[in-house]
Amino acid sequence: MSKLSIERKPSSSKGNSWVEPAFGDLFGGSERNLLSTRKTTNARECRKRPTSSSKQPLKRKGTSQSRESENALRKDQQCQDEPWVDKYCPHTQADLAVHPKKMKEVESWLKSHIDSSVQNTGGAILLLTGPSGCGKTATIRVLARELDCLIQEWSNPSTFSEFKTEESFRQSFDPESRFNSFSGGSQTVLFQEFLLRANKYSPLQMLGGCQTGNKKLILIEDFPNQFYRQPECLHGILRSFVKTGKCPLLLIVSDSLSGDGGSRQLFPKEHQEELGICHISFNPVAPTNIMKVLNRIVTQEASGSGGRIMVPDKETLELLCTGSSGDIRGAINNLQFLSLTDCSVQSSFWAPLKNKPVSASSSRSVSKGRSRSKSTKSSDKQDAQSQAIGGKDASLFLFRALGKILYCKRESCSEPELPKLPAHLSEHRRDRLLVDPELVVEKSHMSAELFNLYLHQNYVDFFADMEDVARASEYLSDADFLTTDWTSRCTMREYSSSVATRGLMHANAARASTVTQTCTGFRPLHKPHWLLVSKKYRENCQAAKSLFVSFCLTPFSLQTELLPYLAQLTNPMRNQAQIAFIQDVGRMPLTRHHGRLKFEALTDKEPGLLDLESDEEDATLPAAVTDLGLAEPLTAATDSPGELPSSQGASTDLPPSQPQPTGAQALLDEEEFVIEEYDSD
Amino acid sequence: MSLWVDKYRPTSLGKLDYHKEQANQLKNLVQCGDFPHLLVYGPSGAGKKTRIMCLLRELYGPGVEKLRIEHQSITAPSKKKIEINTIASNYHLEVNPSDAGTGDRVVVQELIKTVAQSQQIQSSTQREFKVVLLTEVDQLTKDAQHALRRTMEKYMATCRLILCCNSTSKVIAPIRSRCLAVRVPLPSVEEVRTVLTNVCRKEGLSLPGELAKQIADKSGRNLRKALLMCEACRVQQYPFSADQDISETDWEVYLRETANAIVSQQSPQRLLEVRGRLYELLTHCIPAEIIIKGLVSELLSNCDGHLKAEVAQMAAHYEHRLQLGSKAIYHLEAFVAKFMAVYKKFMEDGLDGMMF
Repeated sequence: MSKLSIERKPSSSKGNSWVEPAFGDLFGGSERNLLSTRKTTNARECRKRPTSSSKQPLKRKGTSQSRESENALRKDQQCQDEPWVDKYCPHTQADLAVHPKKMKEVESWLKSHIDSSVQNTGGAILLLTGPSGCGKTATIRVLARELDCLIQEWSNPSTFSEFKTEESFRQSFDPESRFNSFSGGSQTVLFQEFLLRANKYSPLQMLGGCQTGNKKLILIEDFPNQFYRQPECLHGILRSFVKTGKCPLLLIVSDSLSGDGGSRQLFPKEHQEELGICHISFNPVAPTNIMKVLNRIVTQEASGSGGRIMVPDKETLELLCTGSSGDIRGAINNLQFLSLTDCSVQSSFWAPLKNKPVSASSSRSVSKGRSRSKSTKSSDKQDAQSQAIGGKDASLFLFRALGKILYCKRESCSEPELPKLPAHLSEHRRDRLLVDPELVVEKSHMSAELFNLYLHQNYVDFFADMEDVARASEYLSDADFLTTDWTSRCTMREYSSSVATRGLMHANAARASTVTQTCTGFRPLHKPHWLLVSKKYRENCQAAKSLFVSFCLTPFSLQTELLPYLAQLTNPMRNQAQIAFIQDVGRMPLTRHHGRLKFEALTDKEPGLLDLESDEEDATLPAAVTDLGLAEPLTAATDSPGELPSSQGASTDLPPSQPQPTGAQALLDEEEFVIEEYDSD
Repeated sequence: MSLWVDKYRPTSLGKLDYHKEQANQLKNLVQCGDFPHLLVYGPSGAGKKTRIMCLLRELYGPGVEKLRIEHQSITAPSKKKIEINTIASNYHLEVNPSDAGTGDRVVVQELIKTVAQSQQIQSSTQREFKVVLLTEVDQLTKDAQHALRRTMEKYMATCRLILCCNSTSKVIAPIRSRCLAVRVPLPSVEEVRTVLTNVCRKEGLSLPGELAKQIADKSGRNLRKALLMCEACRVQQYPFSADQDISETDWEVYLRETANAIVSQQSPQRLLEVRGRLYELLTHCIPAEIIIKGLVSELLSNCDGHLKAEVAQMAAHYEHRLQLGSKAIYHLEAFVAKFMAVYKKFMEDGLDGMMF
């Protein structure tokens, strides 16, 4: 088998040295797991092998006497071919670039649960989330090795049984056909079986490895697609696992900005609580840690390769760091790509960039002394540079994007050459902004309207003066007004978000300069109510219309005259739904201050999508305050407890004041209401 | 047991309680045979629909009172299905096309076409036309109004339109000129009082004149509202007393409290509370225009004469925004915030003036 693979590989690369068949690895590296195979091929596709051209004539002979030398070459090449991500894959905790505290957190969880699992306390589940390439899997592998645990990992089977035509089904059921390849059941069933088996039995000792006792972990990184469509299905399986499980189950989900298939969809909060899932969320790897790892790799490579690779200088490394936006896997891959000597494109590619200020801190300090236009230009360049490396698109989670706008950090500028505003306009003087609002909105991956709604929900807490609030709210009103006309909406959208963000930032006179900015604490952010409210409004109007159609009234008089008075009359209604609806809508909670709307806190890393159905109280402060980065330290908040928004406190104090009869809602579910497309109102 | 409003609704032109002159004219209109399209307009609660129903009865006899609610579904040329409720008798069809939202043009055309294409069965004894009653014509899109213009002419032979709306200002001129416009003004306070007393007498209750006057005043001469109020008073307390509290709707009370909250304190925190209250009103089906209107009238009564003009102008500005914009809360809140800022400044200036 191994011989076959050796022969096969060069012959395929003979034909096309650039594009290697992805399945080449399947023959060569069958002991590798699927995941690393994928990585390998990815890394290989974008590389040229320097030695392949020189080797080709050799291989062409293909005779037996050259086989030995070929083998030697092969080994050498393989060593070089191996992606650095695998080559320098961390083996000890010290190697890991993950923050030590996170590591300890995971470790302590693992330790406690591996031990307790001996006493059969049921299966425990740990959920790891974080952006891709932040070292979630690496942490688990390292820790498992140190704790002497076996990892059993689920990978989606690559059967195509679902896509079989009827014809092929018949074939597979045909008793005469020899290859009865019909594999039983869907991925979901297979997954369930896997969990069951992994839970019950220890793995076979195929590889002759040492017996590691009963310690075992189940790792799931690759979720069957079905679960994204029907998370309940997964919940059911996990529920039964929790009851019967013997070993810890690890779930790893990468955060995604687009909001689909994220951990929130697979594991909603209430489900996490129900199953006692422990949730540890990873942050992107800090630039200093990436830098450390890159430096280590570079020095090792430089000493080992003997001039075959070009060692990038420090500036390039820093550029790599900033470009990777915390994705260490990407950073290492890029580094390997950069350090290949015969990549002729690369040298010219890098030449013009090298003599420029690169790191974020240095560019800022340099630009401080210059005029405004220059500094923005340099920051633009910096962006362009980090993009040029092939780094990830920098993106912001909604929580941070909102924070950037609302906290509107400014830097003091004391340049004398800047023209001063005339005296009558001096109130409009603002220090220079540290953020570019348009960029923030763009990075948040949200539509301008939705972003504005989020801003609108949260801006009032950041203002102290009524005049400022009035001005800010006017800007928001303007922004909404801009996107009125649907024909021009897609163009005006950007202007609208510009008006809203810049308007809010400018209107906040209390944050006009760095001097006055210091005394703000952390403010919790909330999800906008408007979508829920407008949906409810429309639903209620529809319901009113259909329930009380016999009164032949216009909606206006129905809603403002008839319904409220009907609530006061003892007029027997015809059916229960009408009574419930009247109680719900016709009555207002006069005695209470707060109605049915609850504040739903927006937590870090939450996608900007709204599940309108979710109704649960979520008043917990975002746990990740400390890594907010732009919020002032929490101590500031404790200095001024009076400044904390009263609304939040009030909403937690008050009991949920939802009027009891919700028959109208039930009715809404039963009857089919036709709610037309709501394209413009 | 139905509501008093429905129970004592007059059914023939002769029985109408007020604007009898107009009732007579309508009667003559029916008798002279040449019945035009009608555009009936007037404020809410003046009795437009009542008058129209009386007119229809005059035209067709008691048969029009046999109403049935029909659920129609119309397929637009773009294959979009529009569902709409209609109320119909054998002789007429009532529909509120604005229920269909932006698809109202199709509704107007299709419904009128189907009605107009079927002839009356006994044209010798009956009128040779049917009537289509469109309510809330002022809410129709311009598109639908233009479509209506053409349809009106086309099916003049078999179909008459009665359009009903609050104000003609949003009805395009070509339609106005094709119809005989009938304005139904609000009844006077005295007339409302008479109606209330009559209704109470028929119910076997005695209504003190004082209370009737108060109800009439408070209802803003809106007869429907006055009757509902009166019935609510009956539920609240009977026998009536002259100085009885007249129950208002919850949302009006709530709105007044909101206005008071705005006047009593002007701070960002208060603005947040007000926002919550606005949301509450919206979820209780109170349209944003009504909210801003109610707020303005409450706020105006609370602020100084100097401010009134400014506040009114602000309100007009933001109501305009409200009509054009897509998300009402922005504009409602901007208005409240602006008012707070202006009011606060005014109060502070006033204080300074007193001190020095």
